[in-house]
Amino acid sequence: MRNRTVPQPAMSFEYIMWMFTRISGLALLFLGAVSLVMAFVMGARELLDMPTLARWTFFPNPNHVVNSKIPDVTQGWANAYWQIMQIVIAFFGISHGLNGLRVIIEDYIGNTIWQPMLRGLIFLVWLFFTIMAVFVILAS
Amino acid sequence: MEIKVKILRFNPETDKRPHYQTFRVEAEPTDRVLDLLEKIKGYQDGSLAFRRSCAHGICGSDAMRINGMNRLACKTLVKDLSKGTITVEPLLGLSLIKDLIVDMDPFFEHYESVMPYLVNDEPPPLKERLQSPEERERFDDTTKCILCAACTTSCPSFWSNGRYVGPAAIVNAHRFIFDSRDRAGAERLRILSDQFGVYRCHTIFNCTLACPREIQITKAIGEIKRAIATGSLD
Repeated sequence: MRNRTVPQPAMSFEYIMWMFTRISGLALLFLGAVSLVMAFVMGARELLDMPTLARWTFFPNPNHVVNSKIPDVTQGWANAYWQIMQIVIAFFGISHGLNGLRVIIEDYIGNTIWQPMLRGLIFLVWLFFTIMAVFVILAS
Repeated sequence: MEIKVKILRFNPETDKRPHYQTFRVEAEPTDRVLDLLEKIKGYQDGSLAFRRSCAHGICGSDAMRINGMNRLACKTLVKDLSKGTITVEPLLGLSLIKDLIVDMDPFFEHYESVMPYLVNDEPPPLKERLQSPEERERFDDTTKCILCAACTTSCPSFWSNGRYVGPAAIVNAHRFIFDSRDRAGAERLRILSDQFGVYRCHTIFNCTLACPREIQITKAIGEIKRAIATGSLD
């Protein structure tokens, strides 16, 4: 069977967001795993309850891990590497989640007059949470 | 044995909303639900409206909800249903015309929108457009579609928004996109990458469960998503 190819359709917004959902989902799993493993490498041994593990995984930030009894928590977590890491996790998490909300809403409303209005609202919510997340991460 | 058949009835000339009516029918375990409907229409209530044609699972006319699942009445045996009352309702997601008959026009409009026919402007060869068994095998599964609408009307994405082309249209696009003789694959992929194309499929798998021809519909939709992403039709 010979290889058959066709020119790919021009990238539609739906295609780009569908691809982004997959990439961001995988990226969140990978980044979360890195954060969790690094928490253990840095000496986290206590308070292994679910909320703490979730904080180590998705909020690698001295504000969140200070009660985990990691020795020298501010030296371990409060540096540019973890700040960038957390900004990336926050960006993927907020975008992935709000895009999911957009898809669910548009499943129901289609492209009526509500579509641009709700898309705009979701974009504003996305912008607000992203700016807030970056502010909190850099200020902590 | 006597069976109770509970049917959702609707007469647009007299009813404001659909209501259930229960009939008692003598039936054998090997009878089909279509036989029960024929008995009711023939001997108890001639006003009962439903579609049927070949009665052998090929024409796709008599898809309906039987005990909550989309099935063909002519392929569903009484003995395969749970004992007690058999509930028969029209398909969901399409507007009701009368009793078990729904308006299939939106379904066929979506079907037509994906160009479900061979497109090839190249000069025809002397005999025929040859195809290897492997090339034919590539789209064999999706050739089995009988356009009964059981898949599309079982899809929650279609229920929530009737502008979604639906699984049946995508299956029929797949049948030609992956046909080595066809030349309009790119055009069909462009149509299906639209807002109401394949990306409204959230892999719920209702379509695959509902298909009376056992077509792997969600898999076919996944193959089209991959073709859009890669441009490869292998």
